[in-house]
Amino acid sequence: MSEITYLKPKNAKFFRNNNGFLGLKFNDVEYSRVNLIKAFPFSYENKFISVRDKEQNEIGIIEDISLFPEEVQKLFTEEIERRYYLPKITKIYSIKDEFGYSNWEVETNYGRRKFTIRRDPNNFVNIKANMILIIDVDGNRYEIPDYTKLDKKSFKKIELLL
Amino acid sequence: MLELIQGLSDSILNNLKLYQVNQNDIIIAAKGDLDLSGYCSTSYVLGTKEALITIIGDGDKVTYLENKDIEKLSCEQLVSTGLLIATVEGVDYILCQFTNSCLREFSLLCRLFEKIKQGQVLEEKDYKMHELPLTCPKCGSFYEDPVRKICPKCFDKRKIFFRVLSYVPKYKFHITIMLILMLISSALNVFIPYLTGNIFYDEVLKQGGSLFGKIAFIVISIALVKLLATIISILYGRINSTFSSKVIYDLKTEIFNALQKLSLSFFNSKQTGTLMNNVNGDAMNLQYFFHDGVPYFIVNIIQFIGIFTVMMIINWKLTLLALIPIPLVTYALRKLFPVLGVLYSRMFRQNSSLNSIISDSINGSRVVKAFGREEAEIKRFSVVNRKNYEVNVNVNRINQTVFPLIYFFMGTSSLIIWSVGSWLVVNDQLTFGSLISFTGYIGMLLGPLEFMTRITDWWSNCMNSASRIFEILDTVPEVEEHKDAIKLPNIKGDITFKNVNFEYEPNKPILKDINFEIKAGEMIGVVGHTGAGKSTLANLICRLYDVKEGQILIDGVDIREISLQSLHTQIGFVLQETYLFMGSIAENIAYAKPNATREEIIEAAKIANAHDFIMKLPEGYDTIIGVRGQSLSGGEKQRIAIARAVLLNPRILILDEATASLDTETEKQIQEALERLVKGRTTISIAHRLSTLRNADRLFVLENGQIKESGTHEELMKLKGNYFNLVKKQNEALRLRGV
Ligand SMILES: Nc1ncnc2c1ncn2[C@@H]1O[C@H](COP(=O)(O)OP(=O)(O)OP(=O)(O)O)[C@@H](O)[C@H]1O
Ligand SMILES: [Mg+2]
Repeated sequence: MSEITYLKPKNAKFFRNNNGFLGLKFNDVEYSRVNLIKAFPFSYENKFISVRDKEQNEIGIIEDISLFPEEVQKLFTEEIERRYYLPKITKIYSIKDEFGYSNWEVETNYGRRKFTIRRDPNNFVNIKANMILIIDVDGNRYEIPDYTKLDKKSFKKIELLL
Repeated sequence: MLELIQGLSDSILNNLKLYQVNQNDIIIAAKGDLDLSGYCSTSYVLGTKEALITIIGDGDKVTYLENKDIEKLSCEQLVSTGLLIATVEGVDYILCQFTNSCLREFSLLCRLFEKIKQGQVLEEKDYKMHELPLTCPKCGSFYEDPVRKICPKCFDKRKIFFRVLSYVPKYKFHITIMLILMLISSALNVFIPYLTGNIFYDEVLKQGGSLFGKIAFIVISIALVKLLATIISILYGRINSTFSSKVIYDLKTEIFNALQKLSLSFFNSKQTGTLMNNVNGDAMNLQYFFHDGVPYFIVNIIQFIGIFTVMMIINWKLTLLALIPIPLVTYALRKLFPVLGVLYSRMFRQNSSLNSIISDSINGSRVVKAFGREEAEIKRFSVVNRKNYEVNVNVNRINQTVFPLIYFFMGTSSLIIWSVGSWLVVNDQLTFGSLISFTGYIGMLLGPLEFMTRITDWWSNCMNSASRIFEILDTVPEVEEHKDAIKLPNIKGDITFKNVNFEYEPNKPILKDINFEIKAGEMIGVVGHTGAGKSTLANLICRLYDVKEGQILIDGVDIREISLQSLHTQIGFVLQETYLFMGSIAENIAYAKPNATREEIIEAAKIANAHDFIMKLPEGYDTIIGVRGQSLSGGEKQRIAIARAVLLNPRILILDEATASLDTETEKQIQEALERLVKGRTTISIAHRLSTLRNADRLFVLENGQIKESGTHEELMKLKGNYFNLVKKQNEALRLRGV
């Protein structure tokens, strides 16, 4: 497919700017800040990542981040983590239902959180196999990467929602 | 924001002292909830006239920037978080990070910062987030969703119940009769086992009984009592049917009326969309509530008390013994129902996904056939069908196992009566007739048990349905007529936009600071990329939505003060998506002016160049078109929509891609006709095909929600900007196609 410009370790040099953003030098053009956007956020997490400049014009696509050297991969993961900020729920302390909403208190890999979700199938989505995406009333997103791996008590609390 | 500034903690203030900043100097502030690597934390961004200070955590990281160095302060929205970014010497720096929950606050911060930089003095009103009321007027607590102005706290089930009942008093007469019938029928139900048991065996069959040997008499009595019970239940059923259907009829009428008054934003919002889907189902649910639920409940309660009393009178010891299994069975049922409930809802969801696949592939049948994907569709269906089957099997198996077991345990009551009762009979402590009555009664007592244990679930289910319905009834339309709205029967057609800002969803601005003046009679063309906000602009003029900030004036009057009636009868709008209703073509053309004469309809159709194709149809103007006018082509539908707007003879005409599906020749004809029509009225025409707009007095180029260029065709061509490029590209494209 000639329509797609692929960024390869050979022609694309990524680096971290002193202001914390990801920069890129590609075909002799230097971009002080580029954004990484996943084409398939759920089905191919580390593949087909669109690299865009400040004005959101596509510079090219990274076919697979594992093609890049390890330290660059680390830059990618950091950048992606920031854009697709998605705390992983590791433990559920409580779920309280109230008037069509439920109040959750959970432990995540980013610390303890409290949030409210509207009781609606669209806010509690089984994205794939055992993974669940939760969207709260403010539009914040949380993930249960694998509900079968939750501890028993936590699992019991969401069992009826599945 | 002001409260935040007042309530700053000492440790924060100490941090500020290092930079010689006092609490009183702070004029803008926002509080974030993440640190720079995404962990939960608090961060403060505080601004004075001179500087902006960011404090992350308890002063783990403090940034001090002078306002004059910051070229721009902006919020960048990522997937579910936001970044506050300061641009210094052309380079972006991340000041802090926060979740979506804080986004509004930070966008306000950025707006106010801009004002400070321009040297404006902030006033009290600047600090208000330009939004709909966020709290419930009754209890003051926050709405969890500002689009749905429903307060969760005030949503008390009991209140809903009484509100449901409030639909009833109109039918006092029905209810009184129904209650009397219920009482009689309960009494008869309690009496029948007594008649067939105690009286039949002890008085008629037993020697020395008061009615000994009068078999004909007792049989006829039994028959009569049963006949009476049947007649009463028929009467009751008939009255109940009228009554409950009538209540629901009233309710449905009210719902539909409410739906018509709601604003578009209600229908668009995702959450309320799901509310709509089920309106009819919810109403059905309430119908069951009135028709079956409440009466069943009342009858059972009366009957239970009656039976219990009679049993206690006959033999209280045996009664208490027989009731022993009841708590156990109740307990088991109560444990069981939540589990079954979950299974049922899973079954329900499977079912609806099956239904949606069916309707999906039927609605898309053209696409399916065009790409030859029938096999794939069959496969897609069979996967879900298979799952559906499995869930069904599962649920039914559990049902078929658990309930017989429970019935068996209920049966232990009868066992107790048979064993203990027989022993009592043999020892002459109980008559044979009483034993027979008892076995009859115990069955009647246990029958409704299943329903009674489920009553709370059932009740809350009905109340949820009711609450959803009331939610619709209670929603205050966002676009509401002003209390003393002005009637403008003769609009001249001046349109002014003053600093108009608009967003459909919070924090996703679609139109930004739009300013323009259109004089009456002008023809304005609006061009711009798809998604630029052109249709949105048109929607605002018709007041389908209200602006979030700024004003739209027609003839110098804010459109929020003009009565909706005068607005909608004098603005003709040809929408981008044509929608035709079920009905004849004539009815569709006359949709906005039902009293139009036949001549007017034909004239409008002629202007819209629709007359000739309509005349080719065997039924002419009386041709019935189905939902969405399926039997017509895209261009034909569009011409009917144009005729609809033309017929209204509006002072302001808005054409949103009105001629996009027409060939150039037809478009030209319509244009010429419209030109005659358009004379003297204000016209706003949105089009991608620039040739459509060559008669426009002025053109607006809309890009990313902002007006980038405006002027006549010549002026814009000279400017060599966006418009110039658009024209160049279109000409090239046309040349390529050899047109
Ligand atoms: N009801 C809605 N709710 C939320 N967002 C909407 C809604 N309607 C439109 N939008 C968004 O607003 C933006 C502007 O839409 P609009 O329909 O005004 O564009 P347009 O300029 O008319 O485009 P086109 O030329 O394709 O008709 C788009 O990004 C669209 O996704
Ligand atoms: Mg449009």
